Amino acid sequence: MDSPSMVSIRDLHFAYRRKPVFTGLNLDLHPGRIYGLLGRNGTGKSTLLRNIAGYLFPEKGRIEALGFEPGKRQPAFLEKVFLVPEDFYLPPTRIGEWVGTQARFYPSFNREQFDRILRDFDIPADARLDEMSYGQQKKTLISFALAINAPLLLMDEPTNGLDILSKSQFRKVIAGTVDETKCIVISTHQVRDLDNLIDRVMLIEEGKILFDQDLETISRRLTFKISLDAEEMAGALYSEPSLKGNALILVNSDGEDSRPDLEMLYKAVVLEGEKINKAFR
Amino acid sequence: MNQTFDFSRWWMLVTMHWVENRKRYLLAMLAMGGLMAGWYSFILVVYKDGAMNPFVQYATYYCGLYFVGCLYASTIFAELGGKAQGIRYLSIPASHLEKLLCGILYGVVLFFIVYTLIYYIVDIPLVNVGNQGILKEHQVWAGTTIPIGKIEVFSLWNNEWAPILDKQYHMLLLGYFTIQSAFLLGSVYFTRYSFIKTIVGILLFWLAFVIFAVKGIEEHLPQGWRTYNFIQWNNTANNAAQLQLVRLPLWMESSLFFLIQYSIPFIFWFIAYIRLKEKEV
Repeated sequence: MDSPSMVSIRDLHFAYRRKPVFTGLNLDLHPGRIYGLLGRNGTGKSTLLRNIAGYLFPEKGRIEALGFEPGKRQPAFLEKVFLVPEDFYLPPTRIGEWVGTQARFYPSFNREQFDRILRDFDIPADARLDEMSYGQQKKTLISFALAINAPLLLMDEPTNGLDILSKSQFRKVIAGTVDETKCIVISTHQVRDLDNLIDRVMLIEEGKILFDQDLETISRRLTFKISLDAEEMAGALYSEPSLKGNALILVNSDGEDSRPDLEMLYKAVVLEGEKINKAFR
Repeated sequence: MNQTFDFSRWWMLVTMHWVENRKRYLLAMLAMGGLMAGWYSFILVVYKDGAMNPFVQYATYYCGLYFVGCLYASTIFAELGGKAQGIRYLSIPASHLEKLLCGILYGVVLFFIVYTLIYYIVDIPLVNVGNQGILKEHQVWAGTTIPIGKIEVFSLWNNEWAPILDKQYHMLLLGYFTIQSAFLLGSVYFTRYSFIKTIVGILLFWLAFVIFAVKGIEEHLPQGWRTYNFIQWNNTANNAAQLQLVRLPLWMESSLFFLIQYSIPFIFWFIAYIRLKEKEV
């Protein structure tokens, strides 16, 4: 059974001037999980994260996170939530100075953990923030976000600007950080970056959650395979041509074990959403 | 911990602001001192006789205070103008009141003290230089044979050369805090060009006030009565010998002056606090 939700969103309505983004969104986020919030650009991923963090206010509906109303931005809430935004700002100081002044606000901040993650990312501990590249700055911010040990960590396109090695390092670091008390939400449109990392997938499109399932449930209900079999192709929920044959998503009727291909699942939900969701009913 | 105000959390915010901005502030202080010294040197060289007279000191102090003070106040919440900096600012686990009070401490209290200190650091030695010149060259007031005596250092609170209204009510000094608080509010209210937009806003407000005070009130006055100033009205229908004057009761007049002198900054700071709570990025 699921633990009580850490974030509960009910009937969320939100619009930028006259452009509606959410019209009645419902969502629950639970501790002990890494959520992958997938969706195209401009579908409301960042807006959702900013609503949860309290930087935007719902027009209608209710958000409750960690027992707080995020929009009130109370210090006790802010020290338990951290958002790594896609566009971020770091002051023109040295890492040590920045951490020294910033970390005091977060009671669970762990300096050793921060230094270790920074080392893993290959960032010199005495570097000046304003002399770093965008990727290095992002890795420093991610290190800080993880060392805060906030129960709710929101990351908006965290792998943007990271090189290939750093992306795999990022996955490793995140996987090593999550525990039963924390909930991490990673929003991205680069689906492959979350391979082997997330344990629940949420697909967002036009301000609606089109699909929300555990990876475990996905592999129990669906089979992902490459096949040249015409019969299999005909029964597929979704298919697309690939170099080795046809990439298929099938209903997993014989308990076959396959690793979900997130990118294909994403396309399948966007194009054949009804068929895919039917497999989970 | 108190969620509205906690001194240790506020102090952390104050020190964080200093660490992140000290380089900029130190350079700005040097620039301010340099500009004042440059201006006084120019006056001493060009005008020579009694160049450092109290009016010059008075005008220099207030022109600088109003311009630099308002310019700085319009940048106090400039972080809220951009998404990246705005998210960072709002995410700091401190209450809105603590953030506002930190802005007021730097923008109003410390700026005023530092500006005044820098002014006197420049003013006192240059008044001495001016006095030495007066003694050595037996300077006289222009067009007369009256010797220029020793020129006193400008007194902020008790300036002999100030207009009567300023001598009596310290309107220029207290008015500075009022005007500056409008710029501080502008820095929360406007996301871009807050300095210019606040100037336009103040001018429009002043225009509306003058139209109301002159035209709006005169509409309701008996035939021949005109607005003399904002607290007095006179009847000019008859000849000067029969001039009639009506003024507000003394208690109302002094209450009004008290309100104008001391209350407006608090009102603007309160509005800034509300706007800070409502701010979305």
